[in-house]
Amino acid sequence: MMPTLWFCVVLLCFLMYLVLDGYDLGLGIATLLERRPDRRRDMVEVVAVAWDGNETWLILLGVSLWAGFPAAFGTLLPHVYLPLVVMLFGLIVRGVSVEMASQRPESSGWVSAFGWASLVTAGAQGFALGALGSPVETTSRAPTWFAVVCAVLLALVHIAAGYAHAVRKFTGELQASAAARGRTSLIAGAVLFVAVVSTMQATAAPLDLATPARAAAFTGLLLFTVAGVVTAVVAFGTASRSVVAEKVPSVALAVSVVAGVLALLAAHYPTVGAGFDLASAAGPHNTMTFLLVGVGLNIPLVLGYNLFAHHAFRGKAERHGHLPTGHPSPEGRRVNEHEATH
Amino acid sequence: MSLLDLSRWQFAVTVMFHMTFPAITVGLSILLSVVYGMYWRTRNPVLLQVFRFWRRIFAVGFAIGVVAGAVVTFEMGMNWGQYGARTGAIIGPIIGMEVVTAFFVEAGFIGVLLYGDGRVKERTMFIATVMVSVGTLLSSTWIIAANSWMQTPAGYDLVDGYFEPVDWWRIIFNPSFIWRWPHMVVAVLISASFFVAGISAWYLRRGRALEFARRSLSVALGIAAVLMPLQLFLGDSVSGAVLGTQLSKLEAIEGNWEGGNTGFVLFAIPDQQAEANIAQLDIPCLGSFIAKDLTCQTGVPGLSMTDAADRPDMAATFWGFRSMFLAAVLMFALAFTATVLRFRDRLWTAYRFHRVLLWTTPAGILAILGGWVTAEAGRQPWVVFGLLRTDDAVSHLAPGAVLFSVAGFIVLYVVMLAAYVAYIVHCVRVGPERDDPRLLVDPVHAADHEVAR
Repeated sequence: MMPTLWFCVVLLCFLMYLVLDGYDLGLGIATLLERRPDRRRDMVEVVAVAWDGNETWLILLGVSLWAGFPAAFGTLLPHVYLPLVVMLFGLIVRGVSVEMASQRPESSGWVSAFGWASLVTAGAQGFALGALGSPVETTSRAPTWFAVVCAVLLALVHIAAGYAHAVRKFTGELQASAAARGRTSLIAGAVLFVAVVSTMQATAAPLDLATPARAAAFTGLLLFTVAGVVTAVVAFGTASRSVVAEKVPSVALAVSVVAGVLALLAAHYPTVGAGFDLASAAGPHNTMTFLLVGVGLNIPLVLGYNLFAHHAFRGKAERHGHLPTGHPSPEGRRVNEHEATH
Repeated sequence: MSLLDLSRWQFAVTVMFHMTFPAITVGLSILLSVVYGMYWRTRNPVLLQVFRFWRRIFAVGFAIGVVAGAVVTFEMGMNWGQYGARTGAIIGPIIGMEVVTAFFVEAGFIGVLLYGDGRVKERTMFIATVMVSVGTLLSSTWIIAANSWMQTPAGYDLVDGYFEPVDWWRIIFNPSFIWRWPHMVVAVLISASFFVAGISAWYLRRGRALEFARRSLSVALGIAAVLMPLQLFLGDSVSGAVLGTQLSKLEAIEGNWEGGNTGFVLFAIPDQQAEANIAQLDIPCLGSFIAKDLTCQTGVPGLSMTDAADRPDMAATFWGFRSMFLAAVLMFALAFTATVLRFRDRLWTAYRFHRVLLWTTPAGILAILGGWVTAEAGRQPWVVFGLLRTDDAVSHLAPGAVLFSVAGFIVLYVVMLAAYVAYIVHCVRVGPERDDPRLLVDPVHAADHEVAR
């Protein structure tokens, strides 16, 4: 019971990370496709105020796996050592360059470094997830191409999420081009997702749909994914029409990502990647109690901090409001007047 | 070089690189809170200038500290999978508490601290700044709890080589935590003080931004004057705890092979194989004095008293400790001199003293790194002292993969460190003049925006 409950926390971290850091990794990759330096910098500024909070979910994901399922942590991570090392390289360059780029707007090198590092991070994460689909003791090369496809898939999903976020944050031409590119990357991502799911049978982590309950859960959740993708594709086209409409692509995309992950999980549970079995990898009783009380009870607070951070910088990203020197700007103050009450 | 050596080098490089940044930013975040609080009350524009300037240095240092810290967390599973699996039930939840009570607090409020100036109310700014410093302090607390448990494990049960928690209170408040925690917190405050003092001294020497520089120097040296004597006491107490719980570490720190030396070894080149020092320089009787015996009778223990298989590397432990100790003596002398100069009203014009301060900008950071080398190298060959050996803790990775990652981290970290130093130099050269709120136009950014359009 307790391991299952704690696994829900691990899963929450995974989903929060995927959705939140997804958009900021995606925006980072999107800077590579943008030529105008002022626009690229605007995109970096949007990430600068949020990346730390988003990335903390990755750390909590790692640590909650470690604390609750120590044996799994010690086995799974060495198994995907190289992709994780590359991911860490990417995260380091990303974290440094985003702050450098926003503190020293005159140097464009950091903006490029930020873009490339975002791409490397997303690709390495996709590769690692794909590689976890193969058993620990493997000599075959078959999982490698599967992992490569997963890497491309994850990058595409992140790019789409990045553009969906850009649609909320920008206006005019930049918003229009983000919507168009977001739609293209989402359609490409959806095609690749179908390819990944249909070839999963051939990997070491085949879908298990033997019982009707599993099949129903899998199909039901997959329907949400499809609905989310279709909604997002349509909503990208109508995003500029109203304040509500511009939020639809990112919300629909988040729903489809969450549903997609849950669908795959439903078809594998209780085995979760590389033959790691929940019950046998769980830590002792005393640890679980401490975790659920100490860490678990903090989760609502953590969500609150996340909400506060996003709330403080809600609305459109305006150039002058984002200067790190932060001279009091009358517009900025008016727009965000009532947030001091939070 | 074996897989174990490569893995240890990688951990040493990544964790020391990481530690450099908290050594600057934890103290700076507290300074920022104090200065912003004072500004909020007094509306003195110089205080806002002080806040904005040091925030620039803080911002990038904080970001590097965060990402370099993530590396260390993942290494616990990637490179030290056996350690991760065997101690995870105890260390995992402690780090979990760090993530939810510290990292998320910092992450939630850092955006407002860095970019909220002028966009949110002053009260929100102040709360955000305080929350970030509370987060950094809590983070240090949990990390020291976890590391201290590895030094002096308590409240556990060992089942088939796997640690299981029995009493969380004893795990967290383990014997060495009580002294190491204040020692570390005071250390980061001191290192930030000397960092701030060094840069402020540069402005005084140049005759630039005097109002700003005096204010910064005064706060920094004031903190150092209060904390340096306290730190010498805390450091001595930590050594006392090491004597009682980790004798082999103390033997390596002292630099003697045979026990009974009443002197203090100032300089030594140890030869671990021959169990002797190639060269050695002693201060007579000081060893006995430090052990609180002024009659010069009490000798210090030597490393030969520990089994050869259980000995830490003397050179690393000895020199780690000496760097920390000598830097601390130097900083104590500087803090004392500064206090004398202040009472004689000569602190702002003592240009030679300012030059010394400029050179000792990184003294506190180096002392902290030396202290960590002492703590970690001195704990060897154990990862959990007396219970789990480091060579039983390592992941069985392909050596080539670890070689790739070690090389990658070294290259990346050298570049990042160079970039950060260049950034600090750039910020210092441009100066705090642009952060003066009495200036309505920001020349640097105004020009930049003309170009962008």
